[in-house]
Amino acid sequence: MNPPNQTPHRRPAAPLTEPQQREATRLCVETGLMLLQHGAESALVENLTRRLALALGVERAEVALLANAVVVTTLGEGNCITTVRRNEDRGINMHVVTEVQRAVLDAEDGRLDAAGYRARFEAIRPLRYSRVLTSAVIGLSCACFARLVGADWASCSVAFVAAGVAMAVRLQIVRWHFNPLVNFFLTAFVATSIAGQAAIYSIGDTPRIAMASCVLLLVPGYPLINSISDMVKGYINTGLARGMYALLLSAGACAGILLAMSVWNVWAWL
Amino acid sequence: MKILLDLLQQMALASVPAVGFGMVFNVPMRALGYCAAGGALGRGLRFLLVEGAHIPVEWSTLLAAATVSLLGVLVAQRLRAHPKVFTVAAMIPMIPGVPLFKTLIAIVQIQQKGPSDELISTAIASGLQAFFVVAALAVGLAMPGLLFYRRKPVV
Repeated sequence: MNPPNQTPHRRPAAPLTEPQQREATRLCVETGLMLLQHGAESALVENLTRRLALALGVERAEVALLANAVVVTTLGEGNCITTVRRNEDRGINMHVVTEVQRAVLDAEDGRLDAAGYRARFEAIRPLRYSRVLTSAVIGLSCACFARLVGADWASCSVAFVAAGVAMAVRLQIVRWHFNPLVNFFLTAFVATSIAGQAAIYSIGDTPRIAMASCVLLLVPGYPLINSISDMVKGYINTGLARGMYALLLSAGACAGILLAMSVWNVWAWL
Repeated sequence: MKILLDLLQQMALASVPAVGFGMVFNVPMRALGYCAAGGALGRGLRFLLVEGAHIPVEWSTLLAAATVSLLGVLVAQRLRAHPKVFTVAAMIPMIPGVPLFKTLIAIVQIQQKGPSDELISTAIASGLQAFFVVAALAVGLAMPGLLFYRRKPVV
């Protein structure tokens, strides 16, 4: 494994020809884009993209990350190639990040050349867990959150049902390609409505905890942590964008919670 | 020993959301076990520091996140994957979700009912708590990079 500031040991003696440099640039920008689309933090995106460029024999590479675009410039033999790709969010997928990273590591170790890397890169298919299983486990997770703050078993079951159904709704709305803000609003409404029925029909002694726990599947934890990590590592630009988006998603969920509470006239939280 | 039983309960309950959200983040199957272990360790450590040593929750969170992250580096090098792949899911049981939503709901109530001391203090206190705990989690996770891996990548 080579640190990014060292010359890779396997660098070809001959400088890259222009078509080769062009292909290397494309591979780099697509790698950076893929990582950014699937929720990798900025430091990792920049680091892997530069390492890949060096591994493919480029003299020097620069990467600029914007909130919704990636720019890569490679320099070699007095030639400078710059390219931009627009970024659209594809949802957090750590499987993709892992696979891309392993491909880059292999390229760095000299096991993959440009053609081999492209074949490996294009073969990456995002892993998706089954929707039923995910919904069940998320229901269980929210029941555990409720239990952690001292809900009784009946309220934990309410949180389980409300969060499980809400997660199934959320995944279905994702398939219909709605804006995530709309999705969070609707999902929060569904979760709070189900948990609110438990408060109306007094199921369990701690219905308010159930109502609070069942929407915790909507806390944008990953974007929030990524946002601060980015800013700590000097990527203020992407950090602010991610933080703002996380806040907007939370506000969408909050609107759904408030609407459900007014519709059913059950008030929790405060 | 009551605190030991509480600790075990906290750790067991925390490992479930870590796996659950790991699945939402599509963490590879092999790394899900590390999510569970990290979630249990982080939450358990924070519980001990808050309840046992009476350290404020933000500092406890920072220490717990840093510990999970440092151990995560060792796992990551064996797994050939960036530690964030599984350590962020492990932090989910410590994310201040309730204070975050409480802040936003209090702000809406201030707009609707007019400001009262109670609503304003709820909004500010929960908002600050949410912010500081999230910041502690993120900085804790960045700790290996800040302390040891300053000039070289973790994986």
